[in-house]
Amino acid sequence: MSFRDHNNLTFHIQELGEGPPVVMLHGLFGGSMASWYFTSAPTIARTHRVLLYDLRGHGKSARSRTGYDVATMVSDLESIAAEFSTRPISLVGHSYGAIVSLEFALRNPSRVHKLVIVEGPLPPSQVKEFDAFRSLSLSEKAASLPKAVREAFTRGGRQAERFAESMRFFLRESSLFDDLRAASDIADERLATLHCPTLCIYGSNSSCLPAGERIARAVPRAELVVLAGGHFLQVDAGEPLTASITEFLNG
Amino acid sequence: MTTEVTTETVLARVSDLIRECIGEEWALDVPIGMDTSFANDLELESIEFVALAEKLKATYGRRVDFAGWLAGMELKEILNLRVGVLVEFILSCHSETTTT
Repeated sequence: MSFRDHNNLTFHIQELGEGPPVVMLHGLFGGSMASWYFTSAPTIARTHRVLLYDLRGHGKSARSRTGYDVATMVSDLESIAAEFSTRPISLVGHSYGAIVSLEFALRNPSRVHKLVIVEGPLPPSQVKEFDAFRSLSLSEKAASLPKAVREAFTRGGRQAERFAESMRFFLRESSLFDDLRAASDIADERLATLHCPTLCIYGSNSSCLPAGERIARAVPRAELVVLAGGHFLQVDAGEPLTASITEFLNG
Repeated sequence: MTTEVTTETVLARVSDLIRECIGEEWALDVPIGMDTSFANDLELESIEFVALAEKLKATYGRRVDFAGWLAGMELKEILNLRVGVLVEFILSCHSETTTT
């Protein structure tokens, strides 16, 4: 399986492994399914059937000018998950993908077996990094990116061209940043209604850590794991991240 | 009936798959050999590497456990891969199946 239509948009979807169903969601902007495909997904796929997809507008999924709000992205996931499995699924989300997973679980409690929230920001609009990012010049933007991305960008050539083009699209032609800023918080009272086992994994140096502490406090069956690193734990703490997720899903 | 599996045939097949992933306009200019780096020479984006992995799966089937191979690697190693390392891996999978 590679390209499927959901919510009137074409999504790039891949599956790995056999076993209980798991869906993994990446973060916004520079993210794609590659951020899981080359990190935790192969290990999880030894014991699970893993579905990875590129969020709307990202990776090889179709570009979309609109629909980056949590509700629309949850409905994308609902459609994809329904086609993937009728069994309760486990969800693993990074950053905004974690918030989409969390909101999916709140809306569809019977559909979710276990939930892993990696570096999900709350409120989702609490993206000081994004707002600051938006006001930077193009070269400053490049300088503030993770090292690997930055190196690719400064080398110039094909990757830099693609990256600049995707940045231009998201900033100037899509509602992504407006949708992000309009996203409302999830109140503690709502978080308290979530009853699936939930693992929150956050970076010790990340500005999102307070969100993880709050979710772990408010969700009844949640635990918090703090790993040494920042927001991009797949890069900063790849091995312990994969180990934590695998142990939780297999436990 | 089987095609002979040699470094040359695997490299040719892998090169075709890479060209399919990165698109004609770039692929035509870049010579692809055993020493070609995915990141530095081909500037393969990570999502294109996913596409390549899927094409390898479709081409070589279960015999080449690409995902399992990647699971044993650090992200940095994956980004620094050369085409030759991938070709050698595919060859090693074939020799394992023929000797067992």
